[in-house]
Formats: sequence, C-alpha cells, structure tokens
Amino acid sequence: MAGMGRYLVRRAITFIPTVFGVLFITFTIAFLMPANPARVWAGGQKASPEVVQRIRRMYHLDEPFWSQFYYFTKAILTNSIYSPVTHNLVSEEFMRRIPITLNLAIMAMFMIVVMGIPMGIIAALKKDTAIDNAVRVLALIGYSTPSFWIAFIFMWVFYNELGWMTLVGLPRPSQMITGIYLVDALLLGEWKTFIDINRRLLLPAFILAFISVGGLARYVRNTMLDVLSADFILFAQAKGLPPFRLWRHALKNSLIPVITVVFFMFGGLMSGAIITETVFGIPGLGVLYYSAIANLDIPVIVLSTLYAGLIIVVISLIVDILYALIDPRVRL
Amino acid sequence: MSNNVMVEVRNLKKYFPVRRFLLSKDYVKAVDGVSFQIKKGECLGLVGESGSGKTTLGRVILRLIPPTSGEILYKGKPVTKMKGEELKEFRKSAQMVFQDPYSSLDPRMTVFQSIIEGPRIHGIDVGNPEEFVTRLLETVGLKPEHLYRYPHEFSGGQKQRIAIARALAMNPEFMVLDEPTSALDVSVQASILNMLKELQAKFGLTYLFISHDLAVVKYMSHRIATMYVGRIVEVADSEELFLNPLHPYTQMLLASIPIPDPKIAKNKPKIKITGEPPSPIRLPQGCKFYPRCPFAMPICKIKEPPLIKVGNNHEVACWLYE
Repeated sequence: MAGMGRYLVRRAITFIPTVFGVLFITFTIAFLMPANPARVWAGGQKASPEVVQRIRRMYHLDEPFWSQFYYFTKAILTNSIYSPVTHNLVSEEFMRRIPITLNLAIMAMFMIVVMGIPMGIIAALKKDTAIDNAVRVLALIGYSTPSFWIAFIFMWVFYNELGWMTLVGLPRPSQMITGIYLVDALLLGEWKTFIDINRRLLLPAFILAFISVGGLARYVRNTMLDVLSADFILFAQAKGLPPFRLWRHALKNSLIPVITVVFFMFGGLMSGAIITETVFGIPGLGVLYYSAIANLDIPVIVLSTLYAGLIIVVISLIVDILYALIDPRVRL
Repeated sequence: MSNNVMVEVRNLKKYFPVRRFLLSKDYVKAVDGVSFQIKKGECLGLVGESGSGKTTLGRVILRLIPPTSGEILYKGKPVTKMKGEELKEFRKSAQMVFQDPYSSLDPRMTVFQSIIEGPRIHGIDVGNPEEFVTRLLETVGLKPEHLYRYPHEFSGGQKQRIAIARALAMNPEFMVLDEPTSALDVSVQASILNMLKELQAKFGLTYLFISHDLAVVKYMSHRIATMYVGRIVEVADSEELFLNPLHPYTQMLLASIPIPDPKIAKNKPKIKITGEPPSPIRLPQGCKFYPRCPFAMPICKIKEPPLIKVGNNHEVACWLYE
C-alpha cells in the first residue's frame, strides 16, 4: 500500500481546484439569475427603494461580478455567511440539519442494501422466471412513481388509517454516541425513543428506499449474470465445487461494481431528499434547500450546491480507495 | 463394450428453447443426435465452423449443461445419472480448458489460490501445497515466482498455461480442450500445443480437442470428427481424413486451408465454400448440407443420411457413399 499515500496526496491536490470550480460555477449561475434578490429579501413589491438599496450595498450586490465572488469566497473561508432570509449562520444551519439527513440516509440505505442485493442475486439465479419479472416491475414502479404520491398514500394508510406512524417532532436519544439516532437509542437502552424514532423516520426512509431498491436489484442482477457467464464459473462447476463455493466466486466478483452504485446512491441521499423531507416535514437538508429556493436565499442555494458537490467528491474518493483495497487489479 | 473406451456418446441431443412471438416455441438444435467414442489416451479432434455446436457438445459431455436426450458414458458409467461420490469422482477426473483465457481465471484469486482450490475441495492429498503448485507451474512452463500473482499480471498465453495447470491439479484422466489456442498468437499457440501433447504423453490423458482450425486439429488429434449444424458428418483417423476426405463439407473445409507454397497450392483441387450454414432453428429437411452441396442428389433433399461405415475407422454421413 505504498502507492496509497502518494495517491491520497495527489487526490488532495486536485480536491481544492475541484471544489473551487464547483463554487465558481454555482456562484456564476446564481449571479446570472434574472431576479432581484435584494428586493425579495427586503420584503418584495412593497419594499421601499431605500431599504432595497441598503440591502444591495450591505450584500455587495451593487458591485461587479469578481468583487462579489471575492467577498463570497472570503466569507466562506472565514465562516461568516449568514442567510439574508433567516439571519442564521449558514454553517450552523447545515450542522444542525446534516445529522437528520444522515439518519434518514442511513436508514434508507440500509433498507436498499438489505432488500436490493438479495433481490438482485435471486433475480439473477432465477433469470426469466416470475421472481425476475417481479423485480423488474418493482424497479420500474420505483423509478417512475412520483415519490410525493407514494408518500401521501403511505401517510394515509399508516398514519390516518392504522395510526402506526407519527408526523411531527423528531425524538432523539438523550446522548449522542455514534450520531445515528437508532443505534444510539439501542446502545443506551432507550426503547421508547427507539420506537418513536422508527415511527417518525421509517416511512420516509422506506419511501427513499422504494425509489432506489429496484434499480439496485436490477444492477446487482446484471453484474451477477455477467460474472456467472464467465468461464471461471463454468470451470469451478466443472471441477466440482459445491454451490456455496461457486457463490463465493460469483459474489466476490460481482459486488465490486455494486459498491460504486451503493456509495453514489448514499451520496445522493446525503445531499438531502427535497421532496420526501418536505412532504414529511422532516427538518433535514432537503427542507432547507426547498425554502432557500422558495425565498431566493442565494447564499444557501450556492452553499447547498457546493455541499452536494463536496459529497460526490468525497464519495468518489472513498470508492477509489475501497477499490484499491478489494480489487487486486486496481493500482492507485 | 471394451475397456479402453473413455467416453462414449450415444445419440446425444441438446436443444435450446427460443421464445418466439407469444406462444410458439422454437428450438435451437445445437447438438442433434451425435454419437461417437473416445478411446483411452486418444485425442479426438472436433472441427466445424462457428455455431456448429462444438462447444455445446463439450459442455454437455462434462455435464455443465444438461442434455435434452441421449446418453454419455464415462468409463462405462452414465454421466447424467451420477450422484454423490460418483459425481465427485467424475468432476475430479474430467477437466476443461476454455477458449478465452481472460475470462477463465477468477480475477480476484492468485494463481496459487486458483490452482489449489480444486484439490482442496476434493480432499486430494498434495503434500506441501506450495511445492505442489510450484511443481505444476513448472510443468506448464511457468516460474515459481508467479505463485502469488493475479491473473491480470499475465499474458494470454501464460493465462492459458495457468488454466491448464489448474486442470492438471485435479490429476484428471480426460480433458475437454475447447479451442484452447484460438485466442492466442501463432507462436504462443505452437508452444501451448506442444505442451498439451507432451502432457498427454506424460500423464496418459485423453483429450477431446475442439477447434475450428484444421491445421491445429490435424497436429493434435489421432482421430477427427467433422461437425455441421449439430451433427457429426464424418469421422476418420487424422491422416485418413486429410488424405481422403469423403464428405463434401469436409472437402470444403480442407480446401479452405491456405497452403504456403503456391506450387502445391496450384495443384490442389478447388472446392469453394459457398453459402452459409442454415439457421439452427429452421433446419432444412433431409441432409442439412444439401443447400450448399455441389453434389446434391434428389434423395439428399428428402432423407437425412446416417453415418455410413466406408472403411477402416472411417464413417461418413453422405448419400454419395451409400
């Protein structure tokens, strides 16, 4: 693993320009938007011209592009960006919301992996049977159903009719250990909190999982079929390996590409689920984006995009390192 | 039946279903009524163009895909009915080498792991495993330092050597060699073929050598069977087949071998290969070669010729020799 250190240094060097590039592009797009944010922040149509003018000056909106970009970058580096709409420090806002989104993402990802991978494996082994077709249909439904619609249906069934779920508040364990609420509640033995968290987050997590699980299952199926058709599997059969050894050959080889997909799905979930969080009223990142867009809260919009970009960069770094660790063919 | 027959195939058929529009179902008749014997220590060459069912036949014999009907006898025992210990013994004794060395080794296993896996599963006593594998590597012309490398660190020819070593590790008696050299350079081909020949002599192996390359088959085989759309159309001793090909299809195949010397090439009878093999789904009635055959007669269109014994160890499925 001598190459690993050098690789990490190289990646770190490209990291900064990448992030800077994302920042520049999103800032430029925000700058070019044909809107008058100062007026919106001042209160809209009824705002007096003096107030609008004062806000423009306060946020350097009357200055040229490069100057604005300079102030914005400087403010990021000194952690002094406040939302002009909520007047909160944006980094604090993020820190408050990331754990919530993280919890939702982990729950959803857990469901996706636990359901999707076995489903894909079974679909591959029972290719062109009813099971395989069921997985195909499920994937299609997941892809094509609007998530807010499933959310409403589930709310109606599990909240209105059955009353199993709650839709307000967000219970947390008394102490943070891992930062994952469910695990912490279990570790602390706080059963009531554990159940309450489930009642609150299970539905939205399931909806997030439902959207992606079929896709992952299909992906697992296809990589699995690819590997199963390779000659080394046939040879393993010819030399009389028992089924579980055959499976080991097949799984080890087909799960490498699956790791990439799983991690990027997780990255997507970590960037916040705008629709699901908004529909369920969960105060995560998704709701933050939603209100930022609705209120033309440009600093928050730009920073959210930057955050999503960061997540992708970090995830791809993790995937690369994992590849190097598990696949002998990859040299970093 | 005599004791020196290693493999006997009787009227073997393998049909693959192809789903067509809605209800109607068709079959690809990959192997359609094939019978032959392979004697102990012999190399039977199987030639035919792409899609003639050679590979399928090899796989069915090793019970990697179940036959539709027919019988395979391995040392007198029916392969399809084997169970438990008997099947385990068969799996140990009959091995395979594939055409594509790139996909025939598990990319995530070292050479050592790949080779030792089989003997371990079968509980073969190999003494010191590292020495055992090293010895095998030397047998196939590789070096001890290759032991812990991964497949991607080798060339195609080296990979094929590893695949052969992996098959040898099981101490087999019978090997299906499915175009083991057609993915390799000519120079590498030659060395692999020589090695296979030496191994055969050294360990008394029986080969089923599948190839579309007639020159290679001639070099390797004692006897040669020609396959055409799922059927064997001619079987003869290697020399005999090349000197005296009887089936028009075999004649065509032989005529297609390029001859390096133009003087000799000039005198060679010219039979051009015309047309293409029929779709294995919609086969013509009668002789399957009829539409392409320059010597076709009325009977060929109606009735399919059986394998007719024409000489010493020479059989041909053609009405010309009735």
